[in-house]
Amino acid sequence: MKAFFLGILLLSGGLLVARDSNGQDLDKMTLSLQLKNVSLKHALRKIETLTSLPFTYKTSDIAAYTNVSCEGTDIPVSHALDVLLHNTGLGYEQVNSNIIIKKVTVANRPQSVAGVVFDGGVKGRVTGTTGEPVSSATITVEGSNRAVAADNNGMFTLTGLKPGGYKLRISAVGYEPLIAEVLIKDDEVASFDFVLRAGSARMDEVVVTALGITRKERSVGYSTQQISGSKLTVAKEQNVLGSLGGKIAGVQVSGSSSASMGGTQKIQIRGVNSVTGDGEPLVVVDNTPISNTNYASKNGRDYGNLAQDINPEDIESVNVLKGPAASALYGLRGQFGVILITTKKGSKNSKPTVTFSSAATIEKAGNFMPLQNIYGAGSSLNFETVTINGVDTKYVDGSWDESWGPKMDGTPVRQQYSFYRADPNFGKATPFVPHPNNIKEYFVTGRTLNNSISMTGGGQNTTFRLSYNNTDVTGIEPNTYLKRNNLSFSGSMNITPNIVATVDLNYAQNKGQRPSQGYQALGSRNMYQWFERNLDMQKLKQYKYPDGTFYQWNVNDPNSEGVYDDPTPIDWNNPYFDAYENPAHDSRDRTFGDVGLRWTVIPGLSVSGFVRQDGFTQNLDGRNAPGGRGTPSFWIGKYQSKEMNYEFLAQYSREFGDLSLNANLGGNILTQRYDYLQEETQGGFVTPGFYNIANSLERPAVIDYLRKKEVRSAYGSVTLGYKNIYFLDASLRDDISSTLPQNNNSYLYPSVSASAVFSELLKWRPLSYGKARLSFAQAGADITPYLTTGYYNLGQPYGSTFPMEVPDTLNNPNLKPSLGTSYEAGLDLKFFENRLNLSATWYHQNNKNAVLPLDVSGTSGYTRSVINAGNIENHGIELTIGGTPVMTKRFSWTSTFNVSHNTSKIISLYPGLHTYQLDYNRYASVDMFLLANEGEPFGTIVGNGYKRDQKTGQVLLDAKNMPLYESGHKLGNVLPKYTGGWQNTVTWRNFDLSATIDFQSGGRFLSWTKMLAVKSGQAAETAAINDKGKNVRDDPASGGGVRISGMSSITGQLVTTYVAARGYFRNTLGSKIYDPWTEDASYIRLREASLGYTFSRTAIPSFPFKSLNIAFIARNPWMIWQKAPKGVNPAELATGASSLNWLETGQLATARSYGLNLTISF
Amino acid sequence: MRRRFLIIAAFIASVAAPGCKKFSADINVSPNSPTTASNAQLLTAAINYMPVVIEGISGALYTQQWAEKPYTDDSRYISVNFDFSGIYAGPLENLQAILTNKTFNINEGSRNNQLAAARILRAWFFWHMTDRWGDIPYSQALKGNDNLAPKYDAQKDIYYDLLKELAAAAAQIDDGTGVTGDLLYGGDMSKWKKFANSIRALMALRLSKMDPDRGKTELAAAVSGGVFADNSDNAVYVHLADPVNQNYWYYVADVQHRQWYWISKTLTDYMNPLQDPRLPVYADPAPSTGAYAGVPYGLDGDSVAKVTTSKVSWMGKHVRAQNAPCYIVTYAELLLAQAEADKLGWLSGGDADAAQKYNAAVEASVRQWVRNSFKGGVVDDVEKTSYDPNDQGDTTGLGVYLAQPSVTYDPANALKQIAYQRWVHLYMNGYEAWAEWRRTGYPTLTPAPNNNNIPIPRRQGYPSSEPNINSSNYKSAVQAQTGFGGKDDLNGRVWWDKP
Repeated sequence: MKAFFLGILLLSGGLLVARDSNGQDLDKMTLSLQLKNVSLKHALRKIETLTSLPFTYKTSDIAAYTNVSCEGTDIPVSHALDVLLHNTGLGYEQVNSNIIIKKVTVANRPQSVAGVVFDGGVKGRVTGTTGEPVSSATITVEGSNRAVAADNNGMFTLTGLKPGGYKLRISAVGYEPLIAEVLIKDDEVASFDFVLRAGSARMDEVVVTALGITRKERSVGYSTQQISGSKLTVAKEQNVLGSLGGKIAGVQVSGSSSASMGGTQKIQIRGVNSVTGDGEPLVVVDNTPISNTNYASKNGRDYGNLAQDINPEDIESVNVLKGPAASALYGLRGQFGVILITTKKGSKNSKPTVTFSSAATIEKAGNFMPLQNIYGAGSSLNFETVTINGVDTKYVDGSWDESWGPKMDGTPVRQQYSFYRADPNFGKATPFVPHPNNIKEYFVTGRTLNNSISMTGGGQNTTFRLSYNNTDVTGIEPNTYLKRNNLSFSGSMNITPNIVATVDLNYAQNKGQRPSQGYQALGSRNMYQWFERNLDMQKLKQYKYPDGTFYQWNVNDPNSEGVYDDPTPIDWNNPYFDAYENPAHDSRDRTFGDVGLRWTVIPGLSVSGFVRQDGFTQNLDGRNAPGGRGTPSFWIGKYQSKEMNYEFLAQYSREFGDLSLNANLGGNILTQRYDYLQEETQGGFVTPGFYNIANSLERPAVIDYLRKKEVRSAYGSVTLGYKNIYFLDASLRDDISSTLPQNNNSYLYPSVSASAVFSELLKWRPLSYGKARLSFAQAGADITPYLTTGYYNLGQPYGSTFPMEVPDTLNNPNLKPSLGTSYEAGLDLKFFENRLNLSATWYHQNNKNAVLPLDVSGTSGYTRSVINAGNIENHGIELTIGGTPVMTKRFSWTSTFNVSHNTSKIISLYPGLHTYQLDYNRYASVDMFLLANEGEPFGTIVGNGYKRDQKTGQVLLDAKNMPLYESGHKLGNVLPKYTGGWQNTVTWRNFDLSATIDFQSGGRFLSWTKMLAVKSGQAAETAAINDKGKNVRDDPASGGGVRISGMSSITGQLVTTYVAARGYFRNTLGSKIYDPWTEDASYIRLREASLGYTFSRTAIPSFPFKSLNIAFIARNPWMIWQKAPKGVNPAELATGASSLNWLETGQLATARSYGLNLTISF
Repeated sequence: MRRRFLIIAAFIASVAAPGCKKFSADINVSPNSPTTASNAQLLTAAINYMPVVIEGISGALYTQQWAEKPYTDDSRYISVNFDFSGIYAGPLENLQAILTNKTFNINEGSRNNQLAAARILRAWFFWHMTDRWGDIPYSQALKGNDNLAPKYDAQKDIYYDLLKELAAAAAQIDDGTGVTGDLLYGGDMSKWKKFANSIRALMALRLSKMDPDRGKTELAAAVSGGVFADNSDNAVYVHLADPVNQNYWYYVADVQHRQWYWISKTLTDYMNPLQDPRLPVYADPAPSTGAYAGVPYGLDGDSVAKVTTSKVSWMGKHVRAQNAPCYIVTYAELLLAQAEADKLGWLSGGDADAAQKYNAAVEASVRQWVRNSFKGGVVDDVEKTSYDPNDQGDTTGLGVYLAQPSVTYDPANALKQIAYQRWVHLYMNGYEAWAEWRRTGYPTLTPAPNNNNIPIPRRQGYPSSEPNINSSNYKSAVQAQTGFGGKDDLNGRVWWDKP
């Protein structure tokens, strides 16, 4: 039984090279000392430092001697030792280069050194707190170069130690390092078992790098950051990418509200690295690339990004390869970084371990926007009238979806429901009163149940792990849910001692009925935008009358008899109508995994072949039920994706004295096939209420889409090490893609990096580890299929005549892949036995030749021409500071803080082009752009802004003292200046508390919701009390009005005056000026927290389980600080597939979760 | 050992070898869109765009045929920039594909007929555009990658070339098979010929102030070449009762439920006293009064909110019907043009012919708008009997109307009368009505009230994208047009719009 993981072999190989050293004559070695009244320990350390002679002693033996002195210049070491040990009862002996200090007894006189063979050692097993073997553990003898790696079962043996007391340092990725004192005797291998506590990810050991190659952290010449799976499941977040938020420097995770239940979590590494704003990292699970597509758009359901199909409970660790330096080996797919996920595995010769965990949380809607409760629907303070049976009657005009109307003072009026024959109040005037909590009342308490069980173990030649997870969520919006099942199996088997077969299989199943986000997309957010403060949510809840008609509030006038002829809503459905009559469904079946063989040809050389697959079938549907706004319709979509990777890899490693060599050579064939069929009914239904495409009144609209792609790759890499201190690394990859022009479809991607573990040279005790690193790399991004040839668009038929059109986008037969080039330098430092660590990285990256549809003058016959263009430069720093400020037997506090700062600049776009339009929005005849401007940072928001006096900067006012505005104002930059997070773990006895804070500084966005809440007269400020004590809606002539200051454009004088609230908020600010709604996205948020207590058999021998942990968990419980106004969440701006978060058109309500988690190990 | 390395090396070599750069020929050819299109299909797509152009709202607002309520921004001339790129990249590029096509399938019409139809439509779209914006890219337009930033041609040159094009296209029509995919005339090439001459005649009249000599020649040539002689010759795009080909105003009224566009009080105040038989088609009676009452034009938001919905007239059920026809160029317009040409002395008929043409124009207009098929009724805003080009129309009330003193032909007032009739007739074709208002000054209109004295637009601003993506040509064009005063706004005058 052997460990086949090359990394481990390498590690043990590398570390086992002990320094070749001969005994030195202590009489001939001299040194100068000025030691006065110091401790013996200090003195010995000083000599150790000056001479590089390793000392071995029992701390207890020397602890008593705190006041020794030895002064002299060029005195022999032997003399110095004699002086220091005088009268201590201690003696010294030299064994090769080691000097052992021990008590001198008559029976144990120092023996003659020559010819005596000492052969002591230590062996044992390293496990985690739940008993799982820690196969990645490294056991290091402190103060020496001796180290060994544990095998798959956590077993290790370290021999050739001289007798004496040693400090062993046991460490592993994802665990707190442990320092153990052991006593080694002659001819005896002492046996110890060590239990490691799961801890913050310390990158001091083995890390997983590109293509899943495990490497010694010290040999890696670029920034790596690894997070253990246990850190990702603290609060049971459903989307694994979301749980990376705030944990990795330089990685910005922007999410959407969890009200969508597993919605979008978007990752951006080191800023925006494409002038088009696109570019998300590749997600890889156990070396299998998986799709992270996002089917959601700004408006509609947020189905989330598909990487959420990974069960977080299965994750052993996540490594983020930040950009080309780390991901160059991914070639065409590596430009925007790679998220490497490694799943948990079983281990050989281990008893089956069963772990069960169960979490139950409740979700509450939060972060409500403050609204006014004085004025109701309408456009003026007077009630409108409608002629009913010849009588002009006061009524609530349903066509006003705003609250600029009369006071809600209880005046009896005909409200919308009174025009429905089936309503109990039909024909009656009822009091016009506010419903202050109408929006809040819409939300319900959601709940999430999460149960998972896993079994892991292994036999002599096999390992396995089997896990199952079930998640059942009901949302905070009525009639929404998500059900998810994850099943996974991983195993390995030694067919022969040299050949091992492995398999990873994952199956995920999702079924959801989610709420809708965005503008006019059947969503709840619209209630902040266009609604009436007088609407009674309890009344709206009874959305269907017994006679089958639907109660809608946003309708045109009743007829002359006071009945709605046609209560079809204009712009907004009754929210309950949307919730219950317009559900949308999504379901997905997904499998991904790999099978492979690895053959160790000779020790040091292995070859392996893998077949990897990721595939899913997704079904979506949606509807617009009869009785709602627009034409009734039903649509379905079936989406199928399949990616296969056929991979070959040869790995070779060898030591040549001080030199180590590690080489990899591989090839890969990738095939992708993606197809979908979307169908939508047209013109309504034959039979209303029957949701089937066959029920379409007209010929249904169909999109039948297929996309195929193939990439052939060859790659190799070499790592050279010298003395385990200096490392040089180089890689090269060639990719040939079917999407590129046939005559120019092969591209090469190189990388070079170097690292030096300089702490080995400095020998400065407080610095336990210090590494400097430097790298250069290039990686690309493939183009989408079918961009290099022309085609026509099929039109919709006119009777039996079928039109066909020349598309507006001009394809380009000369496209090439885009290219990212990066330089990176960094420093990793660990002080005081890892009690403090620091990692800093500087990077500089240029990304060129993005494929973009260039806007060209439509007069050319095309509005867009596909080209390669652009050069965007990003540089920045990433800083991670961590440590364990307090560590006692019962209490420990571990803390990690990371922050990153990125600066971007568009160096060039395209000859003659200085501005590229990234996104565009037109609302109420006002244009708003997101631009990439040459010479500026990426992502400038441009739109209408206040017109200001050029000299004084004062807002200019028109003849009526309303602010003037002009178009083309720069309203800020969309990208944050700083992002980061702060993680803390505190343990006290059996309690453990952990919390993650994430933050962002800078970055702007436009809040449509806030703008419209003001425009529609709902926001609190539209009915506030002014400084004269009058409501701003009162007539300015009688003390009301909004106070406004500025410079009159007519007189040029500064004026402070009062203007009518509706004209100001609704017709000016809310319609024409975007400065007030461009918000700063800075925030500090407590993202997750957990407080747990562990019962274990170690403490209570009669305990029925190995261990049991019960924890109170909270997700997103507290927005500690945000700059944007209440009611808008700057941390939840992600809107599906769109790449940038600059426009909030109706984000879902913030959901806060609280609950309990139970984990049991058997 | 060595052999093993050889195996590995061979594998790598096989992956990296140049032979592996070859993929199957069709791997990067989209299976989702056709790589070829027939001319008939491209022609249909181009015709499909004609109502899109006609059904733009601004012209009908500028001429106060329509009024807005409750949102009145456009009535108050807030929007300055209007996009023309859709017309270039849409129908014009489709027509360009026909014109540059190397192969012609004669089952889709003879080569000459296919080319002629494409040229006529192309001329119509360019004519529409230059009237709205002024100078526009023409000679260098539609060349794709060969010229992504075409220069702007002077309107004069465009007019001259289009007149030539129309004459040539009419002459090109041969006796071969008619075009297929033809939603206007079903391949009847004689009607295409009349269509070409009719456009040419209307374009010629547009030159009445700036270039009367050329106008006269062209109009006379066009009329003698044969223009529309009956309503059945009209270029009409008939909407269908399906969501793809439906009337845009049906979509606004019945799908969006947006009661935003109403007949204007300016128009009802003119039509009401004359008992115009077209008014019941143009508008529905106000629900609570039964009267035809337009919405006052261009009020500000607060004032318009006081207009009670139930007391004003919504757009007529026949003009908002899902399968309503969209009139592109009509017989009545040609009659009015000939009447005016008589009056201008461009044609030799004098007042007698002018009066005859004028009366015939009013009759043709009434017959066009008040259709016998309306008797089938409208069910759920769908005409039960769909449009028939041979429907002779209902002339009830025509005699009374023509007898109204201000309607009866008056030689002293003829130009004004013709222009007012044109304004009324061109309901639902606002851009053409607006162009004729600019040319003739009739009807007499007052700009939107209480609006900082902003005048009624005389052109539309270039697309806001042009200054960015076709910058130098755009700037030269704005400077080159003397009527613009250096500004790209709504107040500049296009070449033919002589003060």
